Amino acid sequence: MTTQIPSLDDPRVLVQTPATIYDAIPPYAPRTEREAEFYTLRDGEMLVNMGPQHPSTHGVLRLVLKIEGERVSDLDPVLGYLHRGIEKLGENADYHHAICYTDPLEYISSLFNELAPVMAFEQLLDLRVPRRAEYIRVLSCELLRIASHALFMGWMALDLGGLTPILYGFIERDEIVEMLAALTGQRMLFNYMRIGGVNGDLNHEFLSRLGDWMSRALREIEANTTLLNENEIFVKRTRGLGVIDRRMALGLGLTGPNVRASGIPYDVRRAHPYGVYPELEFDIPTRDEGDSYARYMLRVDEIKQSIRIIDQVLHRMPDGPVMAKVPRRITPRPGRAWAAIESPRGQYGCYAISDGTDQPYRFRIHDPSFVNLQAVVPLMPGNLLADTMAVMASLDPVMGGIDK
Amino acid sequence: MSFVPGLGIVKGMTLTLRRFFQPKVTVQYPEQVAPIPPRHRGRLQLLYDEWGALKCETCFQCAMACPIECIDMGGTDTKDRFHVHWGPPEQYAERREELALRRSGRPVPDPAFASFSPLDTSDLDRLLEAEEYDPARMLPILEQTQALYGYIPVAAIKHIANATGAWYAEVYGTASFYGQLHLEPPTRHTIGICRCPACSLFGGGAIRTALEQALGVPLGGTTLDGFVSLEPDDCHGENGGAPWVTLDGARQPGITAAGAAQLARSLAGPAPAGRA
Amino acid sequence: MSVVVRPSGRLSPTGRVMVPALGVLVLLVVVLLAGIGTGIIPAIVIWIGGVLLANIAIVRFVVAATAVLLFTIPTAFVIIFMELKVIAFMNLRIGPNRVGPWGTLASVVHGLKVLSKEDFTPTGADVSVFTLAPVVTFVASVMAFMVLPFGPGLFGADLNVGMLYFFAVGGLGVVGLLMAGWSSFNKYSLLGGLRSAAQMVSYEIPLTLSVVGVIMLAGTMSLNGIVQAQSGSFLDWFVVRQPLAFLVFFIAATAEANRTPFDLTEADSEIVAGFATEYSGMRFGFFFFAEYVNVFLLSGLAVVLFFGGWTAPVPWPWPVHILVAPGELGLGLLAIVILAPLVGSTLLALPLWMLRSSWPFWRAWILGLVLFTLLAIGAIGIYLLINLDALLGIVWFFAKSYVFVFTFVWMRATLPRIRIDQLMGLAWKWLLPASLVNLFLTALAILVVHP
Repeated sequence: MTTQIPSLDDPRVLVQTPATIYDAIPPYAPRTEREAEFYTLRDGEMLVNMGPQHPSTHGVLRLVLKIEGERVSDLDPVLGYLHRGIEKLGENADYHHAICYTDPLEYISSLFNELAPVMAFEQLLDLRVPRRAEYIRVLSCELLRIASHALFMGWMALDLGGLTPILYGFIERDEIVEMLAALTGQRMLFNYMRIGGVNGDLNHEFLSRLGDWMSRALREIEANTTLLNENEIFVKRTRGLGVIDRRMALGLGLTGPNVRASGIPYDVRRAHPYGVYPELEFDIPTRDEGDSYARYMLRVDEIKQSIRIIDQVLHRMPDGPVMAKVPRRITPRPGRAWAAIESPRGQYGCYAISDGTDQPYRFRIHDPSFVNLQAVVPLMPGNLLADTMAVMASLDPVMGGIDK
Repeated sequence: MSFVPGLGIVKGMTLTLRRFFQPKVTVQYPEQVAPIPPRHRGRLQLLYDEWGALKCETCFQCAMACPIECIDMGGTDTKDRFHVHWGPPEQYAERREELALRRSGRPVPDPAFASFSPLDTSDLDRLLEAEEYDPARMLPILEQTQALYGYIPVAAIKHIANATGAWYAEVYGTASFYGQLHLEPPTRHTIGICRCPACSLFGGGAIRTALEQALGVPLGGTTLDGFVSLEPDDCHGENGGAPWVTLDGARQPGITAAGAAQLARSLAGPAPAGRA
Repeated sequence: MSVVVRPSGRLSPTGRVMVPALGVLVLLVVVLLAGIGTGIIPAIVIWIGGVLLANIAIVRFVVAATAVLLFTIPTAFVIIFMELKVIAFMNLRIGPNRVGPWGTLASVVHGLKVLSKEDFTPTGADVSVFTLAPVVTFVASVMAFMVLPFGPGLFGADLNVGMLYFFAVGGLGVVGLLMAGWSSFNKYSLLGGLRSAAQMVSYEIPLTLSVVGVIMLAGTMSLNGIVQAQSGSFLDWFVVRQPLAFLVFFIAATAEANRTPFDLTEADSEIVAGFATEYSGMRFGFFFFAEYVNVFLLSGLAVVLFFGGWTAPVPWPWPVHILVAPGELGLGLLAIVILAPLVGSTLLALPLWMLRSSWPFWRAWILGLVLFTLLAIGAIGIYLLINLDALLGIVWFFAKSYVFVFTFVWMRATLPRIRIDQLMGLAWKWLLPASLVNLFLTALAILVVHP
């Protein structure tokens, strides 16, 4: 298409609201070839909006589905409903401020959002973090990984119509979040990681809650999984659904549980070790099937590995300070740094450039959900409407991280 | 999936039935309050030192550090000590009344906290451009603003803060620090009264009481509508056998308490709405 | 300011209701007295009574229909409350506990809320169909109630084609859902309506076929007759002889009532609320009334067909016959009615009074009266249960039905939703052959046992 398409901001462009539900959306002229193809309806097809306000989209993702009867023939994900410009905000704040902006990115697992920028800034500063701080970071992050995966199990069931697992997931998450609140002060946006360490040392309330929970965590989680793991309806609906094979997973650049469910044991904690992970023993669970069920089961396995890591961390926790000596006003030498960590959703990276002032010149977050969400487009066509949600849920995207 | 079809479903149903009889985890909020962890940072709190005095020095550093400008400070000078209040407006002694007035639709006495009236900022913009939007030249900017409007309205402070990039708290702090800058509009009339023993002997006290009653403000205050202010004045020993009362600097000879009250009432503006 | 006349706006909320009510009451009393005094009202009453007696069949039908219609309201409320509370308990929550004791009035408040909401019709909707749809659904489920026997002799109508009528009228509900889905002018509603049509039509077949075995065993299609054919102990219930039919029936009934795991028509995670997406206010309320009434209806039908309806699982081995007929006591009854409370309360009060020396006697006596009343209610209840089969039948029927209702709710709390193609596959590939096999085996058994 070579015709010049006027901008929507141009007042001469008349934006009409659709007169009937059968009219094509959006009402403006198509801007790309893909859009022209997608919004042209053949006989028997219709467009259905899933989101941004829909009971089961994760956050405010909008999926425009082209359906023939119940079968999805094409789809168009529309992003940006939760864009807050956090990267730009971070570039206009000094290094300490920038960290607290990153908290609400992936709001399910906030500690990871802080850890990556903190590690990048530490690289810029050539800081050595005290070992106790490193261990505390691992401990709190693995706890939050369990919370995130527990919640995922509930969401997955909720999107398939099960009412109860989400609440069991929330009970587990609440226990963890409460103990992290004892450690960090807050329940959701922890703001705990600091450049050069962590905000505070372990305290008695945190440790007693943790001990309490550790004694029954595995048992509780395994009991909760019996609701779904062997449930015939759940297995029938997820097994063989949305299969991502190894080629496709690598081609799309998926990370995290989604790529491990396709049989590729890529985990940043082992592939590019950071912190004290090289000293800890844990397995990278993988599954070969690559379907929704494998992605679900993989997260259950990861919970068990995380509990194993926490057990080791508690036994090896060294003594010492939790903060390195860091000046209030940080002016790193000009340079660039990249730090990647393994968040519950995959490789979470932060790229920072310093120009020698007290504010980062460039502050870029690489979010795994954004990459993983791309798999929706090749996976969905040919499935039924109900499977849209099963596939979406198994990829576990969080819109806060995708839209930044 | 198990070999027996339906076994997985039965297992799940057993679990939910077992949960049916287990103790519940709900926290009944208004009756039970979940404990707030000691490291909770969600509450603004002023600290007291070991002598029981507030540690806060109103340096506005916290207000400047707050990324969303949620911290603001108001203060009243009580007994030589700058006493700082914090928290929502309901908790400020001097703001509580203002809030109640605003809710009841009455005029708010302190214009600094009144809802912003629309401000013609074209002159202010010209002024700011002449000063190159430089926050370092805040004092000249504020002085010229006062020359423009007669005082420094809150809307102007907001506008200056936006234009220069300085924090609102900084601009406010500068404006409230210097004596020659006023955050309130100038009054139309000033009634001065001398408090020296000689004037008091000749009936100055009665006049003062009458004026205070008529205006409804103590000495040194301004009426609610901002029309009249009652200021202390000095006769420098030249009262000539009568209390020294001035209106806008002009001596009012031979005034009595009743006359002073009548004078005050005649100066006051129309009664505010809602007042009987 | 002196207040001479108190305007109604200054009355308390109770006063605002009571003052006009008092006026109306006074007016009514005056009219009644005048009517009786002049002999107009007795004449009208006698005339109406005569007309009613002359058309006793119509009166019976109208009364039954009204009773059934009124009965659906508390039923729906109870089931909604059960759903709220049971699912909450299974989720380790407490559930409703603010309105009424243990939150029992929560569903009533839900009903009031639904009543007070805006009745909204979307632009572009087919207004007449849109308005009619909830009524059709609701009326269909209420009409199906008419043939359900609650106890011996307690039913709206004992049709000899009761079962046929039940399925025919019950199947009408899908028309309402389809109408709602079509007329709402919404894609989600359309999908929901079409899903419900496909689902209901598919599941009608195994549902009806699974019941044929029962009809063959009972030899009648009257629901009353089917219950009577199962009288005896629980070994005589048809679930023992027709377990496969019961399984098929239960699964098909779950789908028929749109319950999880077959609640595709209102799958909230897929098509928002399905056919009900555009409905609000009482129209939405009608759909949900119909849904919960349907749940009770199908539970009741399962009980009637497979679990012996109102019959007790084990007949009481020691039959009690209370030979005292209250009518035969004559004046003695009057004496008992007057004296028994006095004597009983005093007798119950004496030990209380003696134990609690700080109490005055009247206080102990009031407590004694309360105790006596409770005892008397219990005794009368037991007397009625033993002497009135209908009451015992109702108790058994409701107990069994609510076990099924609980099961439906329990399933909703546990199971995820099935997919539409799996739903259809289950109906046509598994349930239909299973019910046909069951039908064949039943026929064979009947031929072998009773040639």
